[in-house]
Amino acid sequence: MELESIKKIYAGYSSVYDALFKRFFYPRIKHAITYMDIKPGDRILDVGVGTGLSLSVFPRYCSVVGIDLSTEMLRKAKQKIDENRLDNIKVLSMDAMSVGFKDDSFDKVFISHVVSVVPDPYKVMQEVKRVCRKGGQVVIVNHFKSKNKLLETVEKIINPVCKKIGWRSDLCLNEFIDKSGLNVKEKYMLKKIDFWHILFATNDK
Amino acid sequence: MTIDKELLEILACPKCKGKIKLTEKKDGLACERCRLVYPVKDDIPVMLVDEAAALK
Repeated sequence: MELESIKKIYAGYSSVYDALFKRFFYPRIKHAITYMDIKPGDRILDVGVGTGLSLSVFPRYCSVVGIDLSTEMLRKAKQKIDENRLDNIKVLSMDAMSVGFKDDSFDKVFISHVVSVVPDPYKVMQEVKRVCRKGGQVVIVNHFKSKNKLLETVEKIINPVCKKIGWRSDLCLNEFIDKSGLNVKEKYMLKKIDFWHILFATNDK
Repeated sequence: MTIDKELLEILACPKCKGKIKLTEKKDGLACERCRLVYPVKDDIPVMLVDEAAALK
């Protein structure tokens, strides 16, 4: 899917995103950030921050930079920042495949529900590894192709719908880990049967 | 518009990854190498190459 189409889709989502997706996405986002090894003074990049569902979970003793392709989504995030006086958080519009930060700018990178909606997930991971310092933490929350027969069937059925709304459901977890070159320390799902995986990895560069 | 000093220090041009700086009018972020200005809309810097203007 091309960037322009993705922008249009997410501009359309921005008004209903929180209501629609908070229930599904937020518990995993909250869990993943809570279990990130965030230390005082850490600088964290949140890739695909969207309307800012994740922002209230980050501790105030770290600084967070959120990026998203959709400026419409970021306006909602900015509203949350202003309303809650989250002075440690900034948001910018960026393409995750072509990030505007210097090398080694961040101690940790959080990527939630992004790698399956971009045209090239490995380009995103290349950029993530570039801007994250060596030894930094990379945490990913995403859907990967299921090994569970029942979920696999459900995925096949809903795949055409997913494609229309900008998601791909055919990304294989092990292939993704191998190709992105991440040193994955932990990978699990919050429930025994779940659509989303949580990965905790180290950036070996 | 103000951009946090700490943020400005880590920002780079998304195209060439080189240095960028605030424009004189402080209404955008300029990359001299690529001759591009990235706009700031509603206090949100838009660091997208396809939305950048030519640097005059």
